Amino acid sequence: MSVETIESAGPAPRKGVSILFGLTLFGLLIVLWLLLGLATNAFWTPNNISNLLRQGAMTAILAVGQTFVIITAGIDLSVGAVVGFSSVVVAWLLAAGVPLWLALLATLLMGVLIGVFHAFGIVRMGLPPFIITLATLTSLRGIGLLITNGSTISITNEAFTTFSRADFLGIPSLFWMVIVVAVPAYVFLHLSRFGRYLFAVGSNSEAARLSGVNVNRTIYLAYILSSTCAAFVGLLLASRIGIGNATQAEGWELQAIASSVIGGTSLFGAVGSVHGPLLGAFILATINNGANLLNVNSFWQRIITGLLIIVIVYFDQLRRRGAR
Amino acid sequence: MTGLSEVTQRHDGQITAVGHPVPKGEPILELKVLKKNYGAVEALKPATMTFLSGEIHAIVGENGAGKSTLIKLLTGVIPRTSGEILWCGAPVALANPNEAIARGINAVHQEVVLCPHLSVAANMFLGDEMNSRGLMRKRAMTDAAQAVLDDLGFNLPANAELGSLTIGQQQLVATARAAMRGTQFLIFDEPTAYLTGQESAQLFRLIRRLQSQGVTIVYISHRLEEVFELADRVSVLRDGTHVGTRPITETNEAELIALMINRTIEQIYHKEHFAPGETIVETRGLSGPGFRDVSLTVRAGEIVGLYGLIGAGRSEFALGLYGRHPTTAGEIYWQGRKVSIANERTAMELGIALAPESRRDQGLCLNLPIGLNINLPVFRRMTRGLTINRAEEAANADRQIRDLQIKTPSRRVLASAMSGGNQQKIVIGKWLSHGARLFIFDEPTVGVDVGTKAEIYRLFARLLENGAGIILISSYLPEVYELADRLHVFRQGRLVASHDYRAASHEEVLAQAINA
Repeated sequence: MSVETIESAGPAPRKGVSILFGLTLFGLLIVLWLLLGLATNAFWTPNNISNLLRQGAMTAILAVGQTFVIITAGIDLSVGAVVGFSSVVVAWLLAAGVPLWLALLATLLMGVLIGVFHAFGIVRMGLPPFIITLATLTSLRGIGLLITNGSTISITNEAFTTFSRADFLGIPSLFWMVIVVAVPAYVFLHLSRFGRYLFAVGSNSEAARLSGVNVNRTIYLAYILSSTCAAFVGLLLASRIGIGNATQAEGWELQAIASSVIGGTSLFGAVGSVHGPLLGAFILATINNGANLLNVNSFWQRIITGLLIIVIVYFDQLRRRGAR
Repeated sequence: MTGLSEVTQRHDGQITAVGHPVPKGEPILELKVLKKNYGAVEALKPATMTFLSGEIHAIVGENGAGKSTLIKLLTGVIPRTSGEILWCGAPVALANPNEAIARGINAVHQEVVLCPHLSVAANMFLGDEMNSRGLMRKRAMTDAAQAVLDDLGFNLPANAELGSLTIGQQQLVATARAAMRGTQFLIFDEPTAYLTGQESAQLFRLIRRLQSQGVTIVYISHRLEEVFELADRVSVLRDGTHVGTRPITETNEAELIALMINRTIEQIYHKEHFAPGETIVETRGLSGPGFRDVSLTVRAGEIVGLYGLIGAGRSEFALGLYGRHPTTAGEIYWQGRKVSIANERTAMELGIALAPESRRDQGLCLNLPIGLNINLPVFRRMTRGLTINRAEEAANADRQIRDLQIKTPSRRVLASAMSGGNQQKIVIGKWLSHGARLFIFDEPTVGVDVGTKAEIYRLFARLLENGAGIILISSYLPEVYELADRLHVFRQGRLVASHDYRAASHEEVLAQAINA
């Protein structure tokens, strides 16, 4: 029948496309590295590479959490504020003499609670994700500033602050943290049923509900994961800068969203992966790093990031349209 | 008559500028060996057809037969591969939708593509607003739109927000909109799929009026009785081939079906009778949002049909029984035991499956692969420890695709790429893999071609044979009439009458559904 033949002309099987897109991003990253290597002697130095990996690591972890939310057709604007707030909380707890392990655990738990609050606002109060997370963004900065009275809290715990500068097998510990997050994230998103549910809820939550998916629980899960990733990044940042400061990580939510989108996540939901946002984050980090080395005015970096988002999302649109 | 002709008049200047009116009965649009390929696939094999000025020309065919390809070619949405289109005797490019509209070729689609947040009047004038020194004349447009609507006998308020109307009413607005655009050639793509009987009658009145004003109508429908009611001539497409055109007076339903699918009419409503077994579910005075005091019983091996107009409370009853909306009063007995169904999962665990009314809004995750859609209810079962058993996932999807003959090269293709019939099969496949005792099918054959319909009805028989019970909800009377062992009629949220298999006449059932 013709039905069969017409439809075989439809979109190519999805898996191949996704891998191809991932390889394209990886290729772009390699090309950037090679070009920067040719353009400047400072790029391929061990110091710069580990600096680059450290820079990209924190955005990468935020972007992975953000991607879970975006796949459900939501958005989490609060992640930058959560990072800053977490650095304050952990510094405050350590200053109050709380044992390190308990301070870390409590900070992560606070991330979980922020996610619960977001999902509660969306599911029970019916607020749009944009609004509830925007409200938390500004409130958390405010609470952090109240706690610190507008200044910073120094962290004196040596074990905590040396962690971010440490290497393991020659690779910065912060980059290892990306792997620590990415591997379970991959298992969760691509191999477990909850990952399938995230996609289903983002595609059509009513169809998911009528198929027996617990839609509310899925939304809770997505926002909890995003906030917890952000709290974790807050710990890494506190370790790196040695202080708790509520105004840190300004604008990181946009970096995270940009990384995710560059990595192929669709802001309309139901399209996304774990490797995409990771590559996206390191592409952004490379551009920033390269611009620094080439003495490009740092204001230009923001403009370049904006243009890159437009170009990559435009090509992605073309690809999707071509597949039809 | 005043309203429509006044408003149409404004546009007359534009029409005459692009083409000379063709005398009634002369060819207005001709296709000469028109062909469309998608890659190596022939979606429309070389077709030669003629549309005569002022006629109502029906086009019938199964999904995938090439009807939508033809519409897209005529409205300039896609470019042709080869061949010619003659408009009023002269070759035309029809390279884009604007050219088609400028020449007076318009289409009314099954799914309404208007702005739900604007008023009815604003939608009718969208893109062609009445202006006075750069400002919109809102009052004048509302009055003019109201005049058109009243004139057509639609009984719709022009200042209401479009989204507050039913889908059927929105369809009427879309038609009225096309009618006032100075259209010479108007294509209707399954316009009655979501309309009530009354709305369909209004639409037919409008179509006949347009015809009397000299507009050529192309009418695409799965419902052959509509074709016989309206059309002057009918063309049949099968597998991308134009297999024939007949004057309506020289053909009959049986011949058309034979041309469309090479199958006789008796084979479509496939019905097998089974001795009813134990009671699967019984509702007593069940009430909830949109339905009140519904008592009915479904036994193993029987189809219980729910007939009524759209909005009569049948789907709401189904959603209540399935736990989607909380019921407010009444009781549900599941295999004799009183149960309360608070959510969808409870319903599924008892053994209820629901193929909901709208595939697009409730049934499918359209931008996800077929395989994920099929497996969505059963991922829990496929989970081993933390992860899904991917071999099992693939095997289950492939089995349903094979058993249901879903026409796809792979389970990884997105559900949105499928035709209506194949999408419905995906929804059904979802519940076959989950398994259930009670299957609720809400409008399972809307937008589904005749061939797939027959397959779905045969599948019903297979389910009944295995001891399941079926609730079949349909607004299409012949379907429930021919298939239901017991037929319940709904009106305004209440169950108003019940009949045994073929015990009442069509007219009687229809009268009960429409008024007391």
